Amino acid sequence: MDVYTITVLANIALFSFLAISAWLLLLVGEISFGQQAYFAIGAYTGGVSTAVLQLPFGIALLMAIAAGGLFAGLVAIPAMRLSGLHFSIASLAFAELVRSVLNVFQYQRWVDGYLTGPDGVNGFRDIRWIYDAGIDPGTYFLMILGCLSVVMLGVVMASYGRGMTIVRSVGENRRLAAAQGMNATRVRIITASVAGAIAALGGTLYAHMATYIEPAQFGLMIGVHSLAYGLIGGMGTVFGPLLGVLIDIGALETLRIFSGYRMIFFGGLVALVLIMRPRGILDEATVAKVQRWLRG
Amino acid sequence: MMLKLEGMSKHFGGVKAVDDVSLTMNEGEIFGLIGPNGSGKSTTINLITGLYAPTSGTVSLEGRDLTALAQHERTALGVARTFQNIRLFGNLSVAENLWVAQNGHKQRRQHFISRWFKAGGLQDTNIDELLRFSRLHSKKDSLASALSFGEMRRLEMARALASNPKVLLLDEPAAGASIEDGQLLGERIRAVRDRGVSILLIEHMMELVMGITDRMAVLNFGRKIAEGTPSDIQSNPDVRAAYLGTKNKNKEPADA
Ligand SMILES: Nc1ncnc2c1ncn2[C@@H]1O[C@H](COP(=O)(O)OP(=O)(O)O)[C@@H](O)[C@H]1O
Ligand SMILES: [Mg+2]
Repeated sequence: MDVYTITVLANIALFSFLAISAWLLLLVGEISFGQQAYFAIGAYTGGVSTAVLQLPFGIALLMAIAAGGLFAGLVAIPAMRLSGLHFSIASLAFAELVRSVLNVFQYQRWVDGYLTGPDGVNGFRDIRWIYDAGIDPGTYFLMILGCLSVVMLGVVMASYGRGMTIVRSVGENRRLAAAQGMNATRVRIITASVAGAIAALGGTLYAHMATYIEPAQFGLMIGVHSLAYGLIGGMGTVFGPLLGVLIDIGALETLRIFSGYRMIFFGGLVALVLIMRPRGILDEATVAKVQRWLRG
Repeated sequence: MMLKLEGMSKHFGGVKAVDDVSLTMNEGEIFGLIGPNGSGKSTTINLITGLYAPTSGTVSLEGRDLTALAQHERTALGVARTFQNIRLFGNLSVAENLWVAQNGHKQRRQHFISRWFKAGGLQDTNIDELLRFSRLHSKKDSLASALSFGEMRRLEMARALASNPKVLLLDEPAAGASIEDGQLLGERIRAVRDRGVSILLIEHMMELVMGITDRMAVLNFGRKIAEGTPSDIQSNPDVRAAYLGTKNKNKEPADA
């Protein structure tokens, strides 16, 4: 595979982390425009871990996951008192807050003759771990794919083991779930925290591929797209958000015929899907049908 | 006694939806709660389940005071209900709806990780048996939103039973059903009682209430105006004046 193809595939995989993250919140009943905040937190945490602190890559991944999960959980505790539009606006405000903080956040150190670390608006360069470790783009793409598979497998297992049933029931009707004995607030906070951790994992993988990150990369449009992927791809299965990413990045961004008109096509597509299939292409009814068919 | 309400009141602004109501339900009893629309029947159920906090009064289950407990805590202790206006998880399958009711209140008791990822919850014999009992077995994997109206009502009741309650509160389970369906429902309610569940039945279909309840109470404008066996109630002049005389037994029910 040439480097261009690998880059496109890696972008699809990296966006999938964000899409799954936003999709999980959709399932638990909240529309978040702000999952890029945790992607950014993961990117910076991972970058600082390897580039500045010289920690092993595996530890950097764990630190990023922990930071994303922790921040998302902490934000969720007050934010989950809000609902609907208020939650959405809070998610957006937090994402912009994170970006403003990163705009002034400086933590630079001399490492092996390089000055590295976050330097506010000037960004954070030389996150060189994959080069230092001699990992080629193809191999790194496989590593991203491996991490994504683990996340998706986790969701599939949680569906099989009914964790997702808990999440979906709270998302569909919080009061009814509470009437069934569910601690809906706790389910919502845990789900938000897991969603944050998944976004952060994607973020740190992104930082190490890009080697250079800056606050401007984690803007509102990223959050809006991530949300749209789950909405069009479908709520019924974790392959829904993946399908959304494939449609947008795999087709619209890559195919020449759409060049320059991508946003128009994508916006139109989102509107069309939401009118014709309010819960996305792979919605619950479709998934239920496929499951019954598979069982015979 | 099983369930005891003492001096229960719920006021909404100036409306005394429930006004100083005391009730005692015995174990294994089918207890009827009737009254004209707006007399406070659904509100009484909402007070028992903890959906509403009372303005005053207490509710206890087997001598244990529930008044300060949250809904899910009451569910865990054995209080379950159906809703007058059907409320299901439309985007979950029939079996999943039952699973949520069966396991929702167990969250804190089991190991977190194992429960989220452990398979086989839906193979639970209790759920299979409930599906058969409710004649929903063939619809096990259908989404609840794809069911017929009658099936949805049956699922509501099955779901209430899935949490393994001691007391089942049924809010107009026959609403919209024919007399024959009402009779089938009556048999199912008796069968539930025979499993050891005490039942509070709110119902407008008089044939059903009079036929299967052991005792009943009548509400009017939030106040209890009579209590006794079905024949006591039928011969009570206050009740005839307030309720039976109005012949509104098939009137459109109010929302829960
Ligand atoms: N949430 C509420 N807010 C305000 N008023 C309410 C509420 N719930 C019930 N009520 C009022 O309380 C009274 C009793 O209602 P309800 O318990 O639903 O009656 P029933 O079930 O016997 O038909 C009615 O006047 C109703 O309008
Ligand atoms: Mg009512």
